[in-house]
Amino acid sequence: MSERDETLEGWEPEVGPDLPLARVIDLAFDYRGNTTVIKTDGSEVHGYIFNRNAGAPEPFIQMFDAAGAGPFRIPYAQIRTVRFTGKDTAAGNSYAAWLRRKEKEQAEPKAHDSEAR
Amino acid sequence: MSVPASQMWTVATYVLRQKLRGRPRYPLVLMLEPLFRCNLACSGCGKIQYPAQILKKHLTVEQCLKAVDECGAPMVSIPGGEPLMYPDIGRLVEALVARGKYVYLCTNAILLREKLEAGLFRPSKYLSFSVHMDGPREEHDAAVCRDGVYDQAVEGIREALRRGFRVTTNTTLFEGANPLRVREFFDAMMDLGVEGMMLSPGYSYSKAPDQVHFLRKSRTHELFSTMLSNPARRWKFNQSPLFLRFLMGEHDYECTPWGNPTYNIFGWQRPCYLLQEGYAETFQELLETTRWEEYGKKSGNEKCRDCMVHCGFEATAVNETFGSWRGFRETVAVTVTGKL
Repeated sequence: MSERDETLEGWEPEVGPDLPLARVIDLAFDYRGNTTVIKTDGSEVHGYIFNRNAGAPEPFIQMFDAAGAGPFRIPYAQIRTVRFTGKDTAAGNSYAAWLRRKEKEQAEPKAHDSEAR
Repeated sequence: MSVPASQMWTVATYVLRQKLRGRPRYPLVLMLEPLFRCNLACSGCGKIQYPAQILKKHLTVEQCLKAVDECGAPMVSIPGGEPLMYPDIGRLVEALVARGKYVYLCTNAILLREKLEAGLFRPSKYLSFSVHMDGPREEHDAAVCRDGVYDQAVEGIREALRRGFRVTTNTTLFEGANPLRVREFFDAMMDLGVEGMMLSPGYSYSKAPDQVHFLRKSRTHELFSTMLSNPARRWKFNQSPLFLRFLMGEHDYECTPWGNPTYNIFGWQRPCYLLQEGYAETFQELLETTRWEEYGKKSGNEKCRDCMVHCGFEATAVNETFGSWRGFRETVAVTVTGKL
């Protein structure tokens, strides 16, 4: 039974030679939670990145902000880094967890019965 | 097979028109996702893992219809999320039916009875409720991670049938599925009176919480050939017989990812319903700028290696039926004899 226990939640990557911006953006695009895009002018946009196109003439990301407004398009050239600030909505939500809950539920009446006896 | 003659005729003439026009890539079924919100959180589903502001969003009916017109596919499947939670589902379905589109409203049926009683839908040859049923009661409730859903779905199916609606079932099978139990399930669905059943092996979404129960290719062949060889005469399947034979290992098809294009609040999804590698703003852009050669078995893309899901291969099977005499003869033979 596999449990999703690896998450990027809370990660604040520093972009550099070993970690290019395009890689951070790819990870942010794949992340099922909100992120904070730190722009080169110091401003921040908090929300969900749903698209990125590194192959476009001017590479860009698209996102909805935390209030659901958008989509906003931000060129890679205006992004310094992306922080994984939102909850990873895929984490801790596994089939294994459901099975454990179900087993616990099934075990509870039995425990209750044995106590009654 | 149980696809109604009028629907078969519509699809056949559509495919032949595309071939006469020399279109190398054409859509067969639009997967229209008006929302991602759902009242279940199934372990095999990677569609609903989004932050709250995304789950609250939905397409407008006008956006949906624009996508339908842009795409031009003769069939529209409405998955999601749970489409019965879409506030304008009645108006959307009515508009699609008025356009002569064959609509498969893919629902877990938890809300079906309530929506039918509210008079949201009218029976039509164009509208089918495609109810999610992943096997017998125990297996289905395990797949959707909630007890009691199978019984709710059965109740919804009964109500829809009583009111004269077309009802089909869609069943995704995972590792560990018991062929004998599934055969009993087919009997149960036929006893209920559904028009036909749709089957598919599950796909290993990278975002799906359950990663260990997805079928690999050889297991898919084994499971489906055990399950479908010597089929009961009464079983009706609402899908291409060649696709079912492909699942049984009788054919080796290549994926047609543009056959079931997907549109949702993010745009046109690249490259297919299952993989989510980016979005295009228009259907034309999707067709023209997606690097199709990077997907499918021949590409060597490991994400495609074990995929045998209907949204990639049913369009291939339909194309085979209308693109070759061999495919056409085989389809007719299976349809007439009922033997897979």
